[in-house]
Amino acid sequence: MLSVLALTSVVLLGIVSQTTAIVVYTSWEKHALVGTDVRLSCSFFSWQWTSPDVTFSWQYRADGAKEGISIFHFAGGAPYQDSKGPFRDRLEFVGNPSRRDGSILIKNVDFGDNGTFTCDAKNPPDIAGHPSSVRLLVFEKVPVQAGVITGAIIGVVLGLLILIVAIYYLMRFLVARRVFSLSMSKHGKKGKGKEGSQQKQKPKVPLVFISF
Amino acid sequence: MLELLAALLVLHLSCIALLLAATINNAWWMTNKVSTDIWARWTLQADGGWNYTEIPNVSAKEYLQAVQASSVLACIFCILGLIVFVAQLYTLPKGRRFIFTAAFQLMACVCIMIAASIYTDIFHKDEADGWYGVSFVLAWISVCLTLVSSVIYCTMRKKTV
Repeated sequence: MLSVLALTSVVLLGIVSQTTAIVVYTSWEKHALVGTDVRLSCSFFSWQWTSPDVTFSWQYRADGAKEGISIFHFAGGAPYQDSKGPFRDRLEFVGNPSRRDGSILIKNVDFGDNGTFTCDAKNPPDIAGHPSSVRLLVFEKVPVQAGVITGAIIGVVLGLLILIVAIYYLMRFLVARRVFSLSMSKHGKKGKGKEGSQQKQKPKVPLVFISF
Repeated sequence: MLELLAALLVLHLSCIALLLAATINNAWWMTNKVSTDIWARWTLQADGGWNYTEIPNVSAKEYLQAVQASSVLACIFCILGLIVFVAQLYTLPKGRRFIFTAAFQLMACVCIMIAASIYTDIFHKDEADGWYGVSFVLAWISVCLTLVSSVIYCTMRKKTV
């Protein structure tokens, strides 16, 4: 029984490693301030070992343009930057291909760099897969995201409320317990007289006809 | 005195209803073609339909989020106050006042007052064509109602038959 299970899992793993494709990961969107450097990360998942012939290629399609242009290619262990296009001298390869990282750094971004960057990674023999895109948005001033301040205020106030209520009940519990143990040690079974003030904490009020 | 209990519950429920209406309905400021505020903007199209759009990027975005947060908090406190009131009806010893409930109602009053004040002072001050809408009026009315409710809870005592 166990051997059958092991055999099935090995066969399945073999099948799966032949038929699944490479999966490329990038961020969804990147926000950057004018003049700063932006790191566009790209990574992939593949069932094969990372081959020495792994390739990364980046394409750029400006907002409103119909087609993309190639701006970066990594192959045969060496990076090749675009020396004629809009990113000449501004692009740097900061990835580590042996660790499946094909990230690039774009320096000194401007409003003309708004657009979609597509990363395509290939890990021979695993070459079938979809490239992944990241949108770059360049701002003059980083905008407050909708709802961040709202959520923060609500969260803080409710948290404080819960904290105050918890502390209040904890203090009551501790005081009652301390007083109770004090009365136990002093008078044995019956706690008399002066500790009667704690009685107001736990009444058993009948539920009938509650009114004013 | 069951009528007093019923009246108190009606008052509390109407506070909740007014607060929810003020918070959810996007009608703090209205013009002939626009009904806006705190979450989004409704614009009247040429063909008679209304379009739901984002509030354009004004300089006071952080204040708008503060108004949003405050009014939501006011709703939360009022609803929690109702739950606490029912709980206190059953657990309060005889002769004691409903201080906990009154505290929640007071917090709700303070929150919605903050929201309405910020909105009144910051937004739409220089716009001549337009008027304050339903939600704005309801927000200020809830300030009074929650304050009244809180004071009443402070003076009520628990009594068992």
